[in-house]
Amino acid sequence: MQTTVPKNRRGYLGALALILVIVGLYWGLIHAPPDAYQGNAQRIMYLHIPSILTAYLSFFLVFVGSCLYLWKREKRDDILAYSAAEIGVLFTALTIVEGSIWGKPTWGVWWTWDARLTLTAILLLIFVGYLMLRSLIEEESRAASAAAILGIIGFLDIPLIHMSVYWWRTLHQPPSILRPDKAPWDNIHPAMLTALAINFFAFVLLYFYLLSLRFRLGEMTEEIKTRRMDRGR
Amino acid sequence: MKLLRQTYLLLRKDLVLELRRRESLLTMFFFGTLLLFVFHFSFDLVPEKVTEMAPALLWLAFLFTGTLGLTQLFEAERTNHCLDALLLSPMDRGALFLAKTCFNIILMVAVEIVVVPLFWILFNLRSWEGVPLLLGVAFLGTIGFCVLGTLLSGVTLKARARELLLPLVLFPLMVPVILATIRCMEAILRNGNIGDAVPWLRLLLGFDVIFVTVGILIFDWAIDV
Amino acid sequence: METWGYVFLAYGIVWGALLLYLFSLKRRFRRAEMEVAELSSAEELQKHAQK
Repeated sequence: MQTTVPKNRRGYLGALALILVIVGLYWGLIHAPPDAYQGNAQRIMYLHIPSILTAYLSFFLVFVGSCLYLWKREKRDDILAYSAAEIGVLFTALTIVEGSIWGKPTWGVWWTWDARLTLTAILLLIFVGYLMLRSLIEEESRAASAAAILGIIGFLDIPLIHMSVYWWRTLHQPPSILRPDKAPWDNIHPAMLTALAINFFAFVLLYFYLLSLRFRLGEMTEEIKTRRMDRGR
Repeated sequence: MKLLRQTYLLLRKDLVLELRRRESLLTMFFFGTLLLFVFHFSFDLVPEKVTEMAPALLWLAFLFTGTLGLTQLFEAERTNHCLDALLLSPMDRGALFLAKTCFNIILMVAVEIVVVPLFWILFNLRSWEGVPLLLGVAFLGTIGFCVLGTLLSGVTLKARARELLLPLVLFPLMVPVILATIRCMEAILRNGNIGDAVPWLRLLLGFDVIFVTVGILIFDWAIDV
Repeated sequence: METWGYVFLAYGIVWGALLLYLFSLKRRFRRAEMEVAELSSAEELQKHAQK
């Protein structure tokens, strides 16, 4: 039974994503004005904010897939969780890279242990742990349940991790001249807001396009496995 | 309550086994002490620095020692398909989770009760008045660590590179416990009581409550080791 | 304006990585499709042979 996005609709999704990506690139790089304080480096935010939001969306889907899998034990929920985790790792890693590159012209350093970057790094570690857990357990169904449990625990832990890291960074502000938590929300020009919105939707659509591809791949891999077993190979 | 009674029975079994052979307890204790020595050499701990760094060093030592205990947690059940037998029995699986968690908590607390005074002696810390409260906070942190640790230990039983995988997946999830416990301990050493670290204490308690509940539910429902 | 350099670096890495991932996905996809087709045709042959 085909539960995935059919090939045509996937194609439209991809095309729509591409259009929005191009529009977003134009709006973000050319149309929107540079920031009063950060200059053109602020344009990196058009990547950074959509990336992190997409990463969290991914984790949420891992959670949903994990819950459904533990409840109904249907393979496709496991495939959803696995696919979302794989793409989630990518977007999380990109978020960190973007944040780091943004940090260099803005704060003068490639890395700082501010709340945002630290949290994203922890999220990456959790995702990576999830993928490692899957690959290190031999038996398929055991790997799926193990990963599902980790996915649920991880997701429930994230609000707590958030709170603890933010408190840590705000209650114990190190005596430095850098103000890492100064958000780029000051002086937000309407064109900037539009650029952000367009890029956000571009990322989300692109994410779902990649997810649908990856999901279908997962289904095919599963089918191949079952067929091979049936044929006694 | 049936759950508690079953938990007690399983826990008693593990404690009796442990008291007879003392494998886990001794290794954990010596490892914890060894870490203190390593810290002394690595950080060149002068008296001024020690009070500042004590909470972090202690908690780090407990984390690594606890991880040691976790990898051995289901050791007794590994041979002769004991674990399968336990899971097949009409026993409430949540009881197995609670029993294993309590067992690890007891081991870690036993180590902590010895290592903390040892730390005080070895590093010539003057005032002993915060120590009981410190141990209390460490106890709460230990609960959080053991709850998640037991869950993940059960889940990774059949994984390859298990001793490496378990810390890898556990430690990022432990961030709230690490931060909260150390901040509370710092406040205790600074002021003699919790003081302004109360939010951290609440976070720690919340963590413990949430994951004990989640742990029981998941073990009951989802574990198929 | 040196900041443009950072902007291009960031955009380059991000879109480069996303494209790379897309290509790798497509490659795995095509390989899987071929295998499914192969298995299907092999099954067809088997069915004919049994008749």
